[in-house]
Amino acid sequence: MVERKEVAIPVPAADNTPMEEDKPVKKTPKDLKDAPIKDELSEEDQELKSQLEMLIERLKESDTKLYNPTLETLKTLILTSTSSMTSVPKPLKFLRPLYPDMVTIHESWVESADKKFLADILSILAMTYDDDKLDTLKYRKAGSQNPIGSWGHEYVRHLSTEIGLEYDNRQETDADTEDLVTLALEVAQFFVAHNAEADAVDLLMQLDIMPKLVPFVDKNSYKRVCLYILSCVNYLESPDDTIALHTAHDIYLKHGKYPEALLVAMRMSDKTLRQNIFDSCEDPLLKKQLAFMLARQQLSVETEDEDLQNCINNTHLTTHFINLARELDLMEPKTPEDIYKSHLEHKRSAAVQVDSARQNLASTFVNAFVNAGFGVDKLMLSEEDDGGWIFKNKDHGMLSASASLGMILLWDVDMGLNQIDKYLYSDDENIRAGALLAVGIVNSGVRNIADPALAVLSEHLEDTKSINNRVAAIQGLGIAYAGSAREELSELLLPIVSNTDNAMELSSFAALALGQIFVGTCDGDITSTILQTMLERADGQLGETFSRFMGLGLGLLHLGTRGQSDVTLETLKAIEHPIGKKTSVIVEICAHAGSGDVLHIQRMLHYCNDHFDAESGTDDEFQAFAVIGIALIALGEDIGAEMALRSFTHLMHYGEPVIRKAVPLAIGLLCASNPVLSVLDTLGKYSHDTDIEVALNSIFALGMVGAGTNNARVAQMLRHLASYYHKDASCLFVVRIAQGLLHMGKGTLTINPHNTDRQIMSPVALAGLLTTLFAFTDVKTLILGRHHYLLYSLVTAMYPRFLITLNEELENEAVTVRVGQAVDVVGQAGRPKTITGFQTHTTPVLLAYSERAELSTEEYLAQAPVLEGFVLLKKNPDYVEETKA
Amino acid sequence: MGNQQSQPPNANKNQKKDDKEPKKKWEPPLPTRVGKKKMRKGPDASSKLPAVFPTTRCRLKMLKMERIKDYLLMEEEFVVNQERLKPQEEKTQEERSKVDDLRGTPMSVGTLEEIIDDDHAIISTSNGPEYYVSILSFVDKDLLEPGCSILLHHKTMSVIGVLQDDADPMVSVMKLEKAPTESYADIGGLEQQIQEIKEAVELPLTHPELYEDMGVKPPKGVILYGVPGTGKTLLAKAVANQTSATFLRVVGSELIQKYLGDGPKLVRELFRVAEENAPSIVFIDEIDAIGTKRYDSNSGGEREIQRTLLELLNQLDGFDSRGDVKVIMATNQIESLDPALIRPGRIDRKIEFPMPDVKTKRRIFNIHTGRMQLADDVDLEEFVMSKDELSGADIKAVCTEAGLLALRERRMKVKADDFKKAKEKVLYRKNEGTPEGLYL
Repeated sequence: MVERKEVAIPVPAADNTPMEEDKPVKKTPKDLKDAPIKDELSEEDQELKSQLEMLIERLKESDTKLYNPTLETLKTLILTSTSSMTSVPKPLKFLRPLYPDMVTIHESWVESADKKFLADILSILAMTYDDDKLDTLKYRKAGSQNPIGSWGHEYVRHLSTEIGLEYDNRQETDADTEDLVTLALEVAQFFVAHNAEADAVDLLMQLDIMPKLVPFVDKNSYKRVCLYILSCVNYLESPDDTIALHTAHDIYLKHGKYPEALLVAMRMSDKTLRQNIFDSCEDPLLKKQLAFMLARQQLSVETEDEDLQNCINNTHLTTHFINLARELDLMEPKTPEDIYKSHLEHKRSAAVQVDSARQNLASTFVNAFVNAGFGVDKLMLSEEDDGGWIFKNKDHGMLSASASLGMILLWDVDMGLNQIDKYLYSDDENIRAGALLAVGIVNSGVRNIADPALAVLSEHLEDTKSINNRVAAIQGLGIAYAGSAREELSELLLPIVSNTDNAMELSSFAALALGQIFVGTCDGDITSTILQTMLERADGQLGETFSRFMGLGLGLLHLGTRGQSDVTLETLKAIEHPIGKKTSVIVEICAHAGSGDVLHIQRMLHYCNDHFDAESGTDDEFQAFAVIGIALIALGEDIGAEMALRSFTHLMHYGEPVIRKAVPLAIGLLCASNPVLSVLDTLGKYSHDTDIEVALNSIFALGMVGAGTNNARVAQMLRHLASYYHKDASCLFVVRIAQGLLHMGKGTLTINPHNTDRQIMSPVALAGLLTTLFAFTDVKTLILGRHHYLLYSLVTAMYPRFLITLNEELENEAVTVRVGQAVDVVGQAGRPKTITGFQTHTTPVLLAYSERAELSTEEYLAQAPVLEGFVLLKKNPDYVEETKA
Repeated sequence: MGNQQSQPPNANKNQKKDDKEPKKKWEPPLPTRVGKKKMRKGPDASSKLPAVFPTTRCRLKMLKMERIKDYLLMEEEFVVNQERLKPQEEKTQEERSKVDDLRGTPMSVGTLEEIIDDDHAIISTSNGPEYYVSILSFVDKDLLEPGCSILLHHKTMSVIGVLQDDADPMVSVMKLEKAPTESYADIGGLEQQIQEIKEAVELPLTHPELYEDMGVKPPKGVILYGVPGTGKTLLAKAVANQTSATFLRVVGSELIQKYLGDGPKLVRELFRVAEENAPSIVFIDEIDAIGTKRYDSNSGGEREIQRTLLELLNQLDGFDSRGDVKVIMATNQIESLDPALIRPGRIDRKIEFPMPDVKTKRRIFNIHTGRMQLADDVDLEEFVMSKDELSGADIKAVCTEAGLLALRERRMKVKADDFKKAKEKVLYRKNEGTPEGLYL
């Protein structure tokens, strides 16, 4: 019984944790000494043990001829022993006490083939010795270098752990690691060949030699390898993640998977890589698919081909969208009342609602969002009362009303400009301004060779009479050319930013527009101009509420650029005015948007730590931006997003009003167009908060969370809120807007900045969302004041959540697809299902957040890796129709 | 529209009204979310940590776990800082007292009869009448379900709290609070059996990733069978001793209840508790009490037992997945069990416990005599090598008997003679009743 303790060897399975922990006997009876030890072992075991002992004895003898056969026998014994998961193979168990002996034998021998052979055996035996000596590795190197897999999988795993540990040790002492790398590559090759891709990637990642993986990966394993690498990227430190992305990109290219490689290149936001991939792709059909994928991101590459250029310019977007609407029977325009469904609200009082200007304005927005992109509606474009609705709005309301035309005619440039044209020459200044904005909105996301937006809008930039017109034109440009980074626009807009005689409003919006257009480019000129303006402007002007947009403009320039923003941040420290602090927070959060970087989230939380008294007069607005920043940084990585939601409850609990009112906005950003029940509950609670601004923002966040989903629960909550706030005009206004957002595009659109299976974040969409959210950080002056048109900034984030399948001639091709909840299949064995709970539909179909589609028959081959947006189909040459029985 | 036919004069009027407002379609109200007690697995949804995939052992999993840890550290730091800067204790105190004010005193207790919508319900009180009352907003709606006990405001009778009842006391008794002392070391032999039960029951709970790596589903349960006294229950005890999972043990006969439907209900409760406390192991001893083959029976009692069996079948492999619940069953008579019960999928592994062979017998003797004072003349080999059919339990009985005999004679050591007598006694008792040599 005593030796039981000794045999409790850690099992060499998995992670070297002991699975079999036989408890030592509590009391050893003294009288039982005579009970022979061998009694514990069965006869076969005893025989095996003595055989092994005999073999080792033989090795101790001087007869060198016997060594080789002895070692052979040992090897066979070890190899042939079968083990189970729960116990140690017997030979290993019995050899363990003899291990030190063997080590001395090994040391005493002279260099020979037998010595190497012995080293091999020692190497496997060392697995059972769970100390930090890393003997497996030591003897592996001393051994005969036989194929690494000859001792089985468990051995290789153990070896790979030791390589990793040894590498770390050597890193500390800066020792040479060349031998480890060679060995690691051998191990990795074995792993890839044996369905353990994750282990291979892990090992190479630990040794910082990821790119060396590329040659090992063959056509069977590249998918799993890349999926694993790409899922790791979100959690890696800064230089490692780019290396990982590059590796995935190289692997894809090696296997001719251009679309996948392009997706990776877009994740890296590397322009030359994109161009290279696009150029090296020969297949015309595939090239079109690449063009569509680029178009989704509103990126451009150079190409001569007109067809391709059309695809990249999103020219077809409107026709396909209208087609989809016809297919789904959604063309019938909806009135705001169809959305409000006020008959379902609980009426507290019988008072008839007055046709107030604010309600009409709300209806304008609802009408715009609901009928967005359809080109028909019942208020603005209906034939009976031509333009009558505009005049139901007052003053600045008319601006938003005429701008709503742009929303309704979204993406349809030719038709849109015709309709808007007449308002451009209206007598009313507000209508003219609205029409300018409308021109910008119509061109959002689509590019036209004639550049009508630039032509029309640039004329009004210098409109000296009306500041409204200028602001609208600037806004229009920002929306229309978001993400295009066109030089001529910076020439047009920069003077407006730098001219300190201009009103702060004008300069700020120009800076914002530049930020939208040059999003994520870190353009040096613009950065320095905005910084210069901040330094030159008087304190009073910088204190204006519009200054936040100047900061946002600067932030958007650095969106997602990570480290490149450091210089700007340093410069911002020189600005003494609170705007310096505010802007540096904005730039910081924008620069790390979607990175999931925990350190930066921690800094944001530190910003939120302080409490400022109202008396001290410190500008604490940067805290609001920090809160939004938490969401922005955590965006795009599921774990972080969920954990960030947890942090928000703490912020809400402890925070000052400025933090509390930003929390719902941050939640809205984190879950845009993704109505999760728990989030809805939280927002529902906040929407009854005593602080009216918190309530307003929560209501808007409800709209954002449900945007374009027609979610019945959100609808019910909003109706409830409508009756709850029926006396409060401003709350009701926001409730109505939220309702409009909820039914955006009659439930066909999404504003989530992530697309293509949530892999890629669109900076342009993010810019639109951020602009709107920033407007809500000062909801009373901006949204409830004269600047409600900022709501239209959302347009850059709006995109149909459809799946449209096209044949080689770019015509609609209806095929059956299965649509279901996406399942994370990374690291799973075999061919796991990627979707669950699916339903079969015929394209075109709508896809909700976290849904995924796959073709249900093998008749066609999809060119795109992810079935989303536009997908080109090719006939499967190997397809054989199933014979019907 | 139902009243149109009974009141024809009104029909026109209704029609007109419809014309006026053609848009006012009736919309079905959303189903309320209250009243469906959620499956409670672990902590509340708001404080729950995100699930981490993949479950296999890899760096990605580690990175994700680390990310969660980082966030938790940040939360901790933030909360600690805030508590230092701006203690909330008073505020919570204040809020609590406010809620107490709203609740008012005295309170009465009632039963929730039906939930109308998110904030209204019908309740009944002990003194008779039923009321339609409102549910206050601070009541945890997730806990409400029809039939539960609730706190009521003494005047308005509105719902101001929920009295949580615990699981069926019958089931909570089954939960093993104190682990048995028997460990694997106390089992002589049965190496094969130990290995099989470890693979099927323990390993899936401790190392699920191994199965995932391989791409197979771990077995759901095992049945231990063999002649009496071969150590089935002992092995189950050893499993309970070794595991840190919740161990529920129940005897088949316990599941037979007096009233109709109580048996199946108990089975359901048993598995619900098991799932709530997952990972868990359910051990059903003497399964033949309810698991015998079904047959046509007129006896109500018999039919009830069969219904209990049906419920058990459903729980083992029914529509709902059971998650991390493993089942161990033990029986003497596997051939009398219902084939549906032991089909693969319900019980994936059948582990036979044979009579001990010589080697095992020696082990068992050693285990039982290990703590005994033996005289020098005792030669256990004699008993080990004898041809009598001795089960593990028999050997234990022999040892105990021998000890008792020695005790009777006030000796300090057990002699060989005691063993011989004890063995005869035990074997005689064992064979009692079966006439020797009748069939020879």
